[in-house]
Formats: sequence, structure tokens, C-alpha cells
Amino acid sequence: MRLLLVEDEEKVSRLIVKSLTAERFAVDVAADGARGLEMAGTYDYDLIILDLMLPGLSGTDALRQIRQQNEHIPVLILTARDAIGDKVLHFEIGADDYLTKPFAFAELIARVKALLRRGAVSRANALRVGDLELDRLSQQVRRAGKRIELTAKEYSLLEYLMANAGRVVSRAMIIEHVWDQSFDGATNIVDVYVRHLRNKVDDLHERKLIRTARGVGYAISDEEAA
Amino acid sequence: MNTRSIRFRLTVWYAGLLGLLLLLFGASTYLGLRHYLNQTLNESLGRQAQQIGDSFLVDVATGGEGYVISEINEHYAPELNNRFVRVTRADGSVLYVSGKPKESSFDPSAVSAVGAPVDRDFMREVHAPGGELLIYTHPFTERTGQRYLIEVGAPYEQVEVVLYGLLLALALGFPLTVIVAISGGWLLMRRALNPVDEITRGAEQITSRNLSQRLPVAKTGDELDRLSAALNRMIERLEESFLYVSRFTADASHELRTPLTILRGELEAASGQPEVAPDLRETIGSALEETERLSRIVESLMAISRLDAGEARMERDVLDLAELAASTTEQMRLLAEDKEIALRCESEELVSIEGDRARLKQVIVNLVDNAIKYTPAGGLVGVKVRASNGRAMLEVNDNGVGIPAEALPHIFERFYRVDKARSRQMGGAGLGLSIIKAIVTAHGGQVRVESVEGKGSRFLVDLPVADKTSE
Repeated sequence: MRLLLVEDEEKVSRLIVKSLTAERFAVDVAADGARGLEMAGTYDYDLIILDLMLPGLSGTDALRQIRQQNEHIPVLILTARDAIGDKVLHFEIGADDYLTKPFAFAELIARVKALLRRGAVSRANALRVGDLELDRLSQQVRRAGKRIELTAKEYSLLEYLMANAGRVVSRAMIIEHVWDQSFDGATNIVDVYVRHLRNKVDDLHERKLIRTARGVGYAISDEEAA
Repeated sequence: MNTRSIRFRLTVWYAGLLGLLLLLFGASTYLGLRHYLNQTLNESLGRQAQQIGDSFLVDVATGGEGYVISEINEHYAPELNNRFVRVTRADGSVLYVSGKPKESSFDPSAVSAVGAPVDRDFMREVHAPGGELLIYTHPFTERTGQRYLIEVGAPYEQVEVVLYGLLLALALGFPLTVIVAISGGWLLMRRALNPVDEITRGAEQITSRNLSQRLPVAKTGDELDRLSAALNRMIERLEESFLYVSRFTADASHELRTPLTILRGELEAASGQPEVAPDLRETIGSALEETERLSRIVESLMAISRLDAGEARMERDVLDLAELAASTTEQMRLLAEDKEIALRCESEELVSIEGDRARLKQVIVNLVDNAIKYTPAGGLVGVKVRASNGRAMLEVNDNGVGIPAEALPHIFERFYRVDKARSRQMGGAGLGLSIIKAIVTAHGGQVRVESVEGKGSRFLVDLPVADKTSE
């Protein structure tokens, strides 16, 4: 998979390239809008990450012209502007997703992956992490074959963690997917739910699956914590 | 009636001044007229007395006394004209005296004689039965040297009737004029001061959120117009400085975002390295937590300055506040249970309001979250929604630690914290209540707090209910 990153802030682009390369993506970088537009027309990219505040040709104008050339390529907007009006405008022009700085890089990667598998979303009916199984059809969860009773929210949380198994998901991502943005920032609701989930999933077992990445978020995996 | 209003005071001054002027005018008219009437009567009586002497009494030697009497009666008809005429000889005997007047207002025979010898003209007042008489006395010496005393009088009543008429006219006219002046002045002042009321109403409505509004200018070119225009220019300057401050906050928040992104990215990347030592990983984690808090502060500041500047794009849906409160409270139940706090939500069936669902939900989340944070285990947190007097009321109460009285006026201020150590430990930045206030104000509502330290707090949000016709 080859991605194009149009970002003028050198440090930001270096970090994005680093984290995306770690996920085995090939990333090209353009430092301004005109160069980005040129590269988007030259190579066949799978996805474009576009910053809005660019020297010369603005991200908004670049997006318009990219859409004239190619209707289908997924475009993820990256910006320090978060006015809802801005968001609506860019979705109208043809952006596929919108991420506001400062963002968790885990979230950027999750969104990039979500955009890339769009159209052919693999929604496996059964998710499995070690001896923990989740059946999306019956909404049943078993650990080592034994049924675990979960509330609706606990189930949603576990499903989200397992769908992103092996990857750290931030509190903001969890809140956005399991609750909604109204809960953002004000509460430690995620921590409370994760603790309850741990009681039910991990407490009776030697091998702990849910892991805390301090300052980043939570992850579920079968690997021993590093 | 507001006795301190300009309208009242000006009317009182105006009426008082007018009353005083009328009083002075009335008094001078009365006195002047009385003086004039007295003088006229004096002159007329004197003229008559002299004429009686010069025209008739002069011929008494040739014509005889009978001639004199008939001439006086013929020329002056004293009984018909209400006049008193008497001619006395030097020895005191009466040559002629007029009869009772037609209206019998006085009795001529009862008028006393002048005692002392008289050598020049004079006036006197006599109290005759039936009224006061004004008498002019004129000594006259006939050609042969015979001396006579001529007296001509008229009842003073004549003058009094005129003066009484004037007094009556003044007494009736005075209050009438003053009443007309007061009501006229009152109406005139209302007309003149109406624009002031309009300016006041307009100025009352202007808040930090609608500084783009202006006061009405009637374009009459008068003083009030100039006042409106001056106020408008002041509002314009306020608007500029307000915009400047909120732009500054927005720009500053904005500029902080890119470095925060980099900081966070670097730290995340470092924390993801497998070879990082555990205690270094802890340090990085701690730095990441602080970065996240910094991001939240930046986001909150941005949100508040947008809401304050009226730049935030708000959804305007009709929604049921009771349902929103109930479902949001339900989602937070676990947080309360975790601290062994009873969380209760009581609400009426339907309280429909118009607003931004996500933001209103944020208000409820923040208030309930605060209540849970500041209530010890075993406490009680209650959420109530009701409609009263066209307002939707949301109440969040607790029986927790409460807020000290001296902190109450400040708790909605940005970055204000009641107990600094404690709330920092809770992860707050002192912006939660400011956001609540900004959201509620943007919805045309108000938020207030009642609290007793140690007993608990009660936050009350009131919002306008949705206009039924717009549903």
C-alpha cells in the first residue's frame, strides 16, 4: 500500500511517516500543496493524507483539484482547525475523514486502515484473542470456553478492543466509538469500564489480556506485556 | 410611579413654576384692579361733588334752594344711580339729602354728619346700615360767602362685586390651568423621553454574544439621537476588543496544536519501543498524560472562545430534555456505582427544548460527573428535569462536600478552582463549568449554583422551552 502525505510541518510528517512505515505502509511526502497535487496526479496512491494549512496552494484547493482528477481515492484531512463548519465544508468537497490536531498516532493509523478496507469491510463474526472469544451474532463472550456475562456497554468496549487487537487504542477513540464525544475529557468513564471489564475477563485467569499503555490508552493482546 | 424619573421631576418642576407664576400674576391683577377701581370711584365721586358746587350751588342766591334740589335730582338721579348726595349748610342744617336708593343698599338718613369744620376735600368710609359707603366731602363757598358742605357717596359694594368676580375666576382658573399644564407636560415628556426607553431596552439586550447588534437611531438629529449614535460607537469598540480577545484565544489554541501533535507523536513513538526500560516507560507515560491534559485544555479554551464569540456552529433540533437527562444519567450509572453513590433521575414526561443535542449532553455529563467527583461514598446525586413558566429546568444536586461561600461567585470563571490541589488531582483544569456556562448561554439559558459547604451543591440550568409552533 502506498500513501501520499501532504504536510508542511517537517517534524509532524517525519512522525507520521515513522508510524505508518512501522505498519508496513510506503509513504511519500509532499511539503506543499502544489507539489502534493503534482504527485497525486503522477503516481497511483491508495490514500492521501492532506494537511489544510499549507504554503502556496491551500489544502482545501488541493482537495478540490484532486477530486477533479480522481473521484475515488480516499482522502484523510489533517488539520488544526476544528470548527464544525470547516468539517462540513471539507466533507462536501469530498474528504473521507477528518482528524484534528493534536491526535493520537494510534488513531491516525486506525483511521487510515479503516479507510483502506472500506468497501470490503471484513466484519468477521467471531473475534478471538488467546482463549477469549467474542461472537458478534449471538453477542456472547467466552473465556476458556466459559461464558462471561457483560452489560451492553462492556460488550461494546470489549468488541472495540478486540477488533483492534494488538494495537493501543486511545481513550478518545474508545469514547468516540463506544460512547459519544459528549463524554470526552470530562470523565474517567473509560477507566471505570475497563476496570469492570478486567474484573470479568482477566481476574480469574493467570494470563492477563487487557493491557494499559500509560498516557496512550488500552490494548488487548495475547502477547506478554513488554 | 417612579418619583425619581426625569419625567416626574421635570413635570413637578414645571407645574410648580407655573403655579407660582399664576399665583403672582393673580395677586398682581387683583391688587392692581382694586387700586384702579378705588381710584376711579374716588375721582368720579370728587368730580360729581365739584360739579354740584360749581353748576348748581353757585346759583342758590338767584335760583333759590328749590332750584338747586331739583337740578341735583334731575342731573344725578342719585336714587337710581345708587348714589348718596347730601348738601349741608354752614350751621349744620341739611339743604338736600338723596332718598333711599333703588336697591335699598344703604340708608342715607343714617349717614352721620361730619363733625369738625372742613376746609378742604377728603374721602371717608362710613358704615351705614346695609353696607359700607365711600363718601367724598367737598367744602364750597358761594358767591355771597355762604359756606356749604357737599357730600357724594357710593356703596363700596360696587368695587367688591367686581373684585369678587375676579377672585372667583382666578380660583377656578388656577387649578384648571395647573392640571392642564401637568397632564400636557406629562404627555410631552413621554413623547420626548420615549426614545430613552427604547435606548434602554436596546442596551439591556446587548450582551457579549450579540455585540453586532446596534441601538435604534431615529435620525431626528436631536440630543437622544446623538446619545444612541455615541452608544453605538461604544458598542462597536467593545465588539472590536471582544473579537480581538476571542481571536487571540482561538489563535493561541490553534498555534499550540502543531507542537502538541509533535510532542505526543514523539512520546508515543518512544513508548512503543520494545527496548525502553520500565521506569523510562513510566516517565514517558506520565509525560503523555500531561500532553493529553494540555490538549484537553487547548480544546476546551477553543470551544469556549468559539461559543463566546458566537462562532460555534450549533445544531438546532427539537429534543426532549427529560429523555436526554435520563439516558445520559443511565450511561453514567456505573461511575456512581463505582463510588457507591446513589444516582437518581426524576423527570417529567416531556420537556421539549431546541438546541444542540451533543453540547447539551455535554452539560449533563459535566454536571453529573462533577457531582459524583465531589460526593463521598454513600452519597446521593440527583438529576431532575421539569418545565415551569415556559422554561425548562435541569437540576443536578448532591450531598457532597459543597462549595465555600466565598468561591460561589467565581466557580464559572475560567481556570477557577475551589481547591487547587484537590481538583488537579481529579484531572480538571478549571474549565468544565466555564464550558457549561458557555453552552447554556449560547442556548439562551442561564446556569446558577446553590451550595452549602459540607452539605452539598445544587446546579440549576434553565433553558427556553421549544416554541410549540416550530415543531
